[in-house]
Amino acid sequence: MRWLSALTDNMSPLRLCVPGEKLCSVEDCSTGTGVYQRHGYIYSSLAGYVLRKNEGEELPVISVVRETEAQLLPDVGAIVTCKVTGINSRFAKVHILYVGSTPLKDRFRGTIRKEDVRESEKDKVDIYKSFRPGDIVLAKVISLGDVQSTYLLTTAENELGVVVAHSEAGAQMIPISWREMQCPQTNAKEFRKVARVQPEYLEA
Amino acid sequence: MAGLELLTDQGYRLDGRKATELRKVQARMGVFAQADGSAYLEQGNTKALAVVYGPHEMRGSRSRALHDRAVINCQYSMATFSTAERKRRPHGDRKSTEMSLHLKQTFEAAVMTQLFPRSQIDIYVKILQSDGGNYSVCVNAATLAVIDAGIPMRDYVCACTVGFVDETPLADLCYAEESGGVSSLALALLPRGGQIALVQMDARLHQDHLETLIEAAMTACKGVSKVLDEVVRQHLQEASVLSRE
Repeated sequence: MRWLSALTDNMSPLRLCVPGEKLCSVEDCSTGTGVYQRHGYIYSSLAGYVLRKNEGEELPVISVVRETEAQLLPDVGAIVTCKVTGINSRFAKVHILYVGSTPLKDRFRGTIRKEDVRESEKDKVDIYKSFRPGDIVLAKVISLGDVQSTYLLTTAENELGVVVAHSEAGAQMIPISWREMQCPQTNAKEFRKVARVQPEYLEA
Repeated sequence: MAGLELLTDQGYRLDGRKATELRKVQARMGVFAQADGSAYLEQGNTKALAVVYGPHEMRGSRSRALHDRAVINCQYSMATFSTAERKRRPHGDRKSTEMSLHLKQTFEAAVMTQLFPRSQIDIYVKILQSDGGNYSVCVNAATLAVIDAGIPMRDYVCACTVGFVDETPLADLCYAEESGGVSSLALALLPRGGQIALVQMDARLHQDHLETLIEAAMTACKGVSKVLDEVVRQHLQEASVLSRE
């Protein structure tokens, strides 16, 4: 990977380490990802390369990185990209595809409740006029869910909502306002809760 | 059987090893591309394949999800051709269920599950050829597979089966020794800290010998950990060379 060789140009050759290997003491560095702390020492928890980043005033941060990205789990407050799989009058079910800009290897399931679709007039929301199955939606995680439910997501912000949608004719629609999208082929307008996102930033 | 001595006077065992000698360990990581992590390990004639998926969303009953950690789901099975007689019931029998539970307990001690709340990690191990020390080989193979999957662990988990014959502990038992009436003890160890993850024994042993047997098991596990360490480092080197090209 190019980032790996770019790093070696700036610093000394990267050291390989294995899980359980003692890296340094807590006084020399602070913990980053891929490491854990025990009895005043920092140990590696992954098999990979040791990375020591200097943070200026503070202690350098030591972390262990692997060639391939480790599986990322959606966390509370994270912006996720998901695809709508089913809707009913109370909520929309989605599959979470990306966390930030990292694709997930496995799909996680999420729910957008009717009252979390938008900020104003929460009780007058009509899910059929906000989402349709197959839409790609930008949402934020509000809860990891409990025994009964899946991840709870919200689109109650201007930048969140539908980013890609296909019309009934099958063409990709163009957003015309925060609640309408237009099909370029048939010129029919359809209702969606549209996200205020520049087209260059679309990732689907 | 006449003339079949588990330990001769000169200190040689049935396969010519000395009492504290381990069988030859050969292993490879990353054997499957479709799984998150996989490893193949041979210890003497016992061959095991371990595959790891995860961490991913809880499958099946969501009520079993833990709010602060990941659930580790292990399944142990033996291939029908792994034993001398064709195995009638490769999984679902009591021995397999017990082994799966032991593997689960062992890896819950080593894997840092609190980093992945409400998710599940699957570890599947299959024995392709069984020649004694099934549990130990499974644990060693699964350790490599978990490392290959990039799941954070406190330390390696190394396991070994030891037996007690003629006041001498024998390390790494083969099938003939296990079935020859040796009291065998299986031990899983986190080598750097010297912490024991699991001890399992269902034979009869005099209390005075327990200390020696556990010591011998720990030494054998540390030997295994050195070999596994070599395998992991070599795999990392190869992976980095390939990515740089």
